Amino acid sequence: MNESELIALVKKKDREAFKVIVETWQNMVFNTAIGFLQNAEDAEDTAQEVFMQVFESVSSFKEESKISTWIYRITVSKCLDHLRKKKRKKRFAFIQSLYGKNDSLMIDPPDFFHPGVKVENKENAALLFKAIEKLPVNQKMAFVLNKIENLSYREIGEIMNSSESAVDSLLQRAKKNLQSTLKEYYLLLDS
Amino acid sequence: MDQHLDKKIDEAMQSLDGIEKASPRPFFFTRLEARMQREKSRWEVISSFVAKPIVAFACICLIIMINVAVILSSANSKNLTDQQNSEQATADEYNSLSAPLYEFVNSTP
Repeated sequence: MNESELIALVKKKDREAFKVIVETWQNMVFNTAIGFLQNAEDAEDTAQEVFMQVFESVSSFKEESKISTWIYRITVSKCLDHLRKKKRKKRFAFIQSLYGKNDSLMIDPPDFFHPGVKVENKENAALLFKAIEKLPVNQKMAFVLNKIENLSYREIGEIMNSSESAVDSLLQRAKKNLQSTLKEYYLLLDS
Repeated sequence: MDQHLDKKIDEAMQSLDGIEKASPRPFFFTRLEARMQREKSRWEVISSFVAKPIVAFACICLIIMINVAVILSSANSKNLTDQQNSEQATADEYNSLSAPLYEFVNSTP
């Protein structure tokens, strides 16, 4: 069954076709989300929301791009929504803590260990993920799609609606920022 | 020292090379379907509540009452402005009649 036939069936709310879509792209969605959100539970939650959105908005999918590009776009936007919500919650909890109503928030989240990282790289990768967390959203998006999803500049450009050169410059800036953040971390660890 | 630091940074930057893709826990589709069912049933509860004749009738009554209240209040305010306008007109007329007389009285030696 090709992509068009699959989409046509999902538009008719066919359960089996939807199952095929989910099982084909669930790893891609989950892997992107976990790289972005750095938390397995949040990634699972977001992946479910992505496929719910796929099911609901499939009628508006015009097949001008590949299914995978469309699903990547939904994933990225859901991850951004999730980060925004988390930030809002954090800010609210911070205000509450100022008034002494909530003392549980001010603890930093534990280091994130990606399940796909080689054992010998675990510590370094945890530090790198900590630095990725501090990147501006666009740079973070480009870096995650390039390094964790292994996408080419052209594919990232299609997802982010930008040119290959724009993606290239985003990645260069991301690498520079990561290097300087890592430098700070190592200097802090050594002192 | 700097070389050592640069080496550490390079190692960290390369730590994601050859990373394997993470996958969700087994039975992802089953959990997804259960969640979709939950969301659907929540909307069904809301829509069935709204679709109840008594709720629909109450909503229509409320809308009609709000409309009547708005119409009445705007009619009242119109009456009030009409009254204010006529009072203002009378006052203006009185002023225009009395002013020349006042000036005449003052101007006489």
